[in-house]
Amino acid sequence: MDTSNNIDNDIKFLAKSEIRLKILNELDKHPDNVRGLVKKTNIAYSSVSSNIGKLENHNYITKVENKYYINPMTQVYYKTLMDFKNSVELVNDYDSFWNKHNLNQLSITSIKRITDLKNSELIETTPIDIYKTHNTIKNQIMNSKNIKAIFPYLHPEYPNLIEGILKNNGTVELIVPKSIFKELLFRVNDNVRRKALRYKKLKVYSFKNDLNLYLTICDENMSLGLFKNDGSFDQNRVLVSNDEQSHEWAEELFNHIKKQVKE
Amino acid sequence: MSTAEAKKELAKEFSGVKYILTSGMRSKLLLAIYDGPKNLDELRNELKKPSATILHGLKELETINLIRKVQKYYELTSNGFLLTTNMVKLIENWYAINKNKLFWNSHDLDGIPDDVLKDVYLLKDAEYVASTTSDLSNAFNTYIKLISKAKKLKIIFPIYSENHFKHLIKLLNGKKLKKLELIVSEEILNSIEENEMLKKELVNNKKVKIECVERKLKVFLTYSEDFMALTLFFKDGHYDDSQILIAKDKNAIKWAKILDNTYKK
Repeated sequence: MDTSNNIDNDIKFLAKSEIRLKILNELDKHPDNVRGLVKKTNIAYSSVSSNIGKLENHNYITKVENKYYINPMTQVYYKTLMDFKNSVELVNDYDSFWNKHNLNQLSITSIKRITDLKNSELIETTPIDIYKTHNTIKNQIMNSKNIKAIFPYLHPEYPNLIEGILKNNGTVELIVPKSIFKELLFRVNDNVRRKALRYKKLKVYSFKNDLNLYLTICDENMSLGLFKNDGSFDQNRVLVSNDEQSHEWAEELFNHIKKQVKE
Repeated sequence: MSTAEAKKELAKEFSGVKYILTSGMRSKLLLAIYDGPKNLDELRNELKKPSATILHGLKELETINLIRKVQKYYELTSNGFLLTTNMVKLIENWYAINKNKLFWNSHDLDGIPDDVLKDVYLLKDAEYVASTTSDLSNAFNTYIKLISKAKKLKIIFPIYSENHFKHLIKLLNGKKLKKLELIVSEEILNSIEENEMLKKELVNNKKVKIECVERKLKVFLTYSEDFMALTLFFKDGHYDDSQILIAKDKNAIKWAKILDNTYKK
């Protein structure tokens, strides 16, 4: 396809030169002349001026009177390229979290929006605190009014935690594999469970197949856990984040899995 | 910081992206394997390059842990999968913009938040309609035709246009349109309320819900369950009614919702 070849070349042209990207970064904020750009970027006059020339020739920027302006399309090119850069960094920064882990149940949308997790913290267990990941999530749940979660396995403390939220008049929405569905429900106090189900404070969906994903969405935080490629859950790592973007990211993923329950 | 240091710092910052995007071979290999695991023969046929070149590229990608070899097949590692999915997104983003170059390049995009621009790939099936010298209202007429079949409309309305209002009121008085949600700025709402007819037919209409936002609006977005339409302003601040971007696919409607949500907050 011709367009895809052109795009390839366009991407290459911009990605090839950090100086051009730096110039675009500045022009995206404020139109400027060569002298101003030299001052802002600390790059030599000759390099700035030759790269400005190239950007102008390729129609990425326009000169109006004395200043260079970034073209609207270039803004999108630049921003999406930076978004890609951020995604590469996010993969590298949390390498031990992603590497050799099963990502099959992440939605394509959630992967395309992976930079929404940029303010995450990777919580890892240590030899002196082997329950760090579990305790981190446990605290989040205990301090949350409501919770949505994908639990791929049954931890003995979960029924109690769920009961706690329900007694506090909060709501609980869970997706669990069929194999633990009954067990989990029966371990929650009968009265509490029945009342919550009746008032729709408790919703539990049974997932037919295996779940390769661990996700909790509490009031303040979201946490994500993965399975290793060998099929075992990685209890030693969990990615935790508390900003709005990560919250929306987690909601999208939760709904993506929920849809599969209903199908 | 000296020039040399500044350059070095920059080079370091961009090295990861550069390594992937500036080598045609490496990016092509990732894209080929993204479709599914492939062996050397299949890759050679697809990329039409000699084995040595392909093997060299594969080796490089294996070293940085983006692909791995399982029996005779090359597949993406989890890192490779994350990265390639995002590379595909980048290419689709550029494709979507490139496809309607004239539309995107002539307008002020400040009304579209960065976070929404990053998902512009969702508009890759959109088409733009422009007015021509022989048909000055082509874009507007296309728009009116488009909204005439909707049951429910949501509009971010950045202008005061009696022509638009007239058509909307006609639709509200008809049978099809059951609900109209408008997002307007205070300035526009005041102008609407000063006009008795508009006040009666829009503001006090049960089918209409008007939300007033404080900031100045720079996009004209309309969407229903079946379509989305976007018009923008020129850089000089004037509204452009001669070019309209239209799409009827799910992704584009999803994009419209994402944009709409950023205005609601």
